[in-house]
Amino acid sequence: METIKNALDFSDFPRLDLTVAGAVALCLIIFPLFPLSSFAMSTMIQFLMFALYGMGWNTIGGYGGQVDLGKAQYVGIGAYTTAVMLIRWDIPFWVSMPIGVCFAVTWSFIIGYPLFRLKGHYFAIATIATSLVLKDIFEVWEFVGAARGLEISPIKYHPPDFLRLIFREDIYYFYFILGFFFLGILYINWFRKSRLGYQLRSIKDNEDMARSLGINVHWAKIKTYAIATGFVSVVGSFHACYIKNIEPEDTMSLDISILIALMAMLGGAGSLWGPIIGAGILIPLKSYLKEWLGAQAGLVGIDLILYALIIMLISAYEPRGVWGIIEKIRRRKRA
Amino acid sequence: MKSWMKVGMFALAVLAVGLWMVPSGAWAQKEIKIGVIYPLTGGAAAAGRELRAGAELAAKIANSAMPDLAMPMAQNQGIKSLGGAKIKLIIKDHQGNPTLGADLAKKLILDDKVDGILGCYFSSVTKTVSAVCEQYKVPMINGSSTSPGLTERGFKWFWRTTPHDRWFTKDLFEFLVGLTEGKVQGVKAVPREEINTLASACEKTEWGSHVSGLIEEFAKEYGFKLRKSLLYAAKSVDLSSEVRSLKAARPDVMLFASYTSDAILLVKTLKAQKAHPKIMWGQDAGFEKPEFRETLGDSINGILTRTVFLPKVVDIKKLAGQVNDLYKEKTGNDLGGASARAFTGLQTWVAVLEKAGSTEPQAIQAAANSIEIPGKDLVVPWKGIRFSTKGKELGQNVLGSGLIGQYQKGKDGKMELEIVYPFDVSSADMIFPFPEF
Amino acid sequence: MDILVSSLFAGLLIGMVLALVALGLTIIFGVMDIVNFAHGEFLMIGMYTGLLTAQATGVDPLFTLPVAGAVGFALGIICYYGFIKFVMRGPMVAQLLGTFGLMLFLRNLALLIFGSEDRSLHHGVLVGKSFELGMGIIIPATKLAAAGLSVAAFVAVWLLMNRTKVGKALTATALNPQGARYMGIPTERMNALAWGIGGGSATIAGALIVNFWSVNPFVGLLFTMIAFAIVALGGFGSVPGAFFAGLVVGLITEIPGFWDFMSYTFEFEWMMDVPMTSFKYMWVYVAYFVIMVFRPRGLFGWKQ
Repeated sequence: METIKNALDFSDFPRLDLTVAGAVALCLIIFPLFPLSSFAMSTMIQFLMFALYGMGWNTIGGYGGQVDLGKAQYVGIGAYTTAVMLIRWDIPFWVSMPIGVCFAVTWSFIIGYPLFRLKGHYFAIATIATSLVLKDIFEVWEFVGAARGLEISPIKYHPPDFLRLIFREDIYYFYFILGFFFLGILYINWFRKSRLGYQLRSIKDNEDMARSLGINVHWAKIKTYAIATGFVSVVGSFHACYIKNIEPEDTMSLDISILIALMAMLGGAGSLWGPIIGAGILIPLKSYLKEWLGAQAGLVGIDLILYALIIMLISAYEPRGVWGIIEKIRRRKRA
Repeated sequence: MKSWMKVGMFALAVLAVGLWMVPSGAWAQKEIKIGVIYPLTGGAAAAGRELRAGAELAAKIANSAMPDLAMPMAQNQGIKSLGGAKIKLIIKDHQGNPTLGADLAKKLILDDKVDGILGCYFSSVTKTVSAVCEQYKVPMINGSSTSPGLTERGFKWFWRTTPHDRWFTKDLFEFLVGLTEGKVQGVKAVPREEINTLASACEKTEWGSHVSGLIEEFAKEYGFKLRKSLLYAAKSVDLSSEVRSLKAARPDVMLFASYTSDAILLVKTLKAQKAHPKIMWGQDAGFEKPEFRETLGDSINGILTRTVFLPKVVDIKKLAGQVNDLYKEKTGNDLGGASARAFTGLQTWVAVLEKAGSTEPQAIQAAANSIEIPGKDLVVPWKGIRFSTKGKELGQNVLGSGLIGQYQKGKDGKMELEIVYPFDVSSADMIFPFPEF
Repeated sequence: MDILVSSLFAGLLIGMVLALVALGLTIIFGVMDIVNFAHGEFLMIGMYTGLLTAQATGVDPLFTLPVAGAVGFALGIICYYGFIKFVMRGPMVAQLLGTFGLMLFLRNLALLIFGSEDRSLHHGVLVGKSFELGMGIIIPATKLAAAGLSVAAFVAVWLLMNRTKVGKALTATALNPQGARYMGIPTERMNALAWGIGGGSATIAGALIVNFWSVNPFVGLLFTMIAFAIVALGGFGSVPGAFFAGLVVGLITEIPGFWDFMSYTFEFEWMMDVPMTSFKYMWVYVAYFVIMVFRPRGLFGWKQ
């Protein structure tokens, strides 16, 4: 009960934030009522997915300050668990998703234990390494379709199938992921005020100090890493049902890891709204730039160039991202 | 409470306006939109350009009257049964990425409202795109993806004109057996033990991994010894350890399934490593691209490739010669396996639409399932086009056939593909064994 | 037997080139304590420079090294003054983010300009030639030349670092920037120089590698990972360490060859069926992980 109350308690935010957040939430809810193209719809679903990935990343990367560039491996674990279970044994999404989370969390413990002996850059690169290793293994593993990947057949199931999360129209997926999105916000809201949340922030500020206060630094990091993993894995399972075709090259590619991390950092790591802002800026930017410039003028890669420039600017002038800029402006106004 | 009501009212109003704005169907159909999805950028960009040119040429012929071409679609402007409606191609680039392909298909179907889809060359992309088409019940004709699995999924909105790899791989083994029996033109019967050990290297996605499996299956059936079969990433920038591994197996016959840039890299590395198998065979794709010939020059003399179309076909088929001239005028290259099949793919689309006399998906489906295009109307040397409608395979053209060609240096110093299989249409003596690089 | 020997040779040859790949990374790290994620992209630019110069001017690809080196040196310095200098003021996370952004930027710029096709060299004095040493050892001429030039470049950098005044100033900056500043060493310029040398050595390595590998805009990451593995093994900041670690990593990439040797020598059927070549770079990543976790100082590391 206390937990739910805590999760629903946003009172430490200024009223302006809450008004804006409420307005955005309302817009999201009524979004499908606008007669927009399917392209806008799929962009929106992607935005919500990446916002969720970003929120997961934000627990360990933002509040904990451990830059993780290997989140794609957990997207893969979640997506593969759901797809394999559905295709081989017809196990519905709502069962396979928690199982996927269990697998992902177990794997995160296995590699997290040695991984968190590393810090900073070394940690970041090691997460890339583990992600690439897992991808290489999935690419030759016949049971999960090797490099061919897996396909959830469109004719075997009859949409709309709420158990297996197989739909034809994107609108169903939109509302499902929107539901996850709101739950995710509530969870993170609870998390940041939890004991672990405070421990993490003190670790981020000064690890030695945190240790001297009696915090088990290593264990706290591993636990948070597992939470982040769970988040990503849930969305990974959703990804499998939404895309209906998963393969290592795509689902577990480094690009996804990079996108997740950079999106959260762009928006502002270590704040509740950061990853949402980051995803809100980058996903539409990416999709529409690709559509307008990439497809029409043949300018492949222009979206990511702009993206990279934004990241470079942010890192040089305000490493705390867009949220950092907003806070700075606010502080100046108050002063 | 009141504010919620307001929101609800607002939403309803928006919905009503939205419904008004939706265009209410197209009655006077002037053009038929076909979505075409090919790899126009990325590792297979060169193939994409060929495919695109092939499809565009077919559309041009269909939209204008060219009475001297002996094919039905050249006789009148547009689709006659649809009041002369013109074919309009909406071409998109999938970059070799299956997810992007599915995304594009969705966009074509929902936003551009295409009447049908043609594509996608890469079997992996065809797989996802056909799944989207199946979901939305939009017909899709595939001209050049050869993974056997594609037509074994029971899809009702997917038709494939090209023969698939099971036939091609069987052709290969028939050819090898023919070699031991002295059936090949210009080669005395080769003792079995001289070509008994095989090794294969295939790219590792949908297409290559299936080919690899088929080679394994047929090697067992025909009693050849497959010493090594490896899969590699087509995007590799270095294949030297793969090539050394192949060489270490000491095969007599090396078999490949490669896209363009990796095929070039493979042959280059084999040359640098001084590999000398007796036979080198490529499963089409990269091995028959103009780039392959241009970059590797003389070193490909003696390499075999399966294909469905060689410039030599022109000698036995007048229509192929005429279309080839038009294609050459447009691009400067001869028709190849990719462009000829893209051409045939769109030609099939035109024939199906002509027969359907409507753009209703149901009508198109019925027309496609009962279509019969005779071989004389086609550019490719097939018996014709007729899709299977029952059994394990659905929507597969059952009248197709393949060829095996060999690169041979002509008198003018240019590399030509000569037909060596089927034996009764061979156009030259085969070079055997494969000369050292 | 010949499989083993040829794999051994191939591993050592490629190892010498890979060592040069890692050299730039270790210098930059040693002097400035910053990890350059865009390292592989520098190398990719070197590959394109070599390729395009050779194609445009018609000179042999091996003679394009000075051009590639100059481009890399300039690129390193531009990056330092234009970007890295600002990023250095921020926290570690900002540096990581910044060099990552740089990586994305260079990679996609290459994609925009050159397209995503693989390109490779087809003409040149050595391209496509190889020597047969007997015992089944076949050495491609381009690889031999690249290995030789790589060693030469390594020696040159080592001499620069250890035998010249500039090199001593660089080392001083690395050991104690503040102290170095008090001694009148222009540390700012030293940092820029480290980036210049780092960039130059990476592009030279790229121009060597393009003699036998093909290039596309995405190759960078592979080299970044290899370079990290080498630097981790050799110890962050150590120049001779990078060389020996390069050889080790070269041998690691030849694990499929050793595997083949084992399977054919002892006729292990199950070993022949393992798709070992699919894992050729995986062992490099595994090696990085294991070294970092169990011996973070590497084999020759002097800086924690």
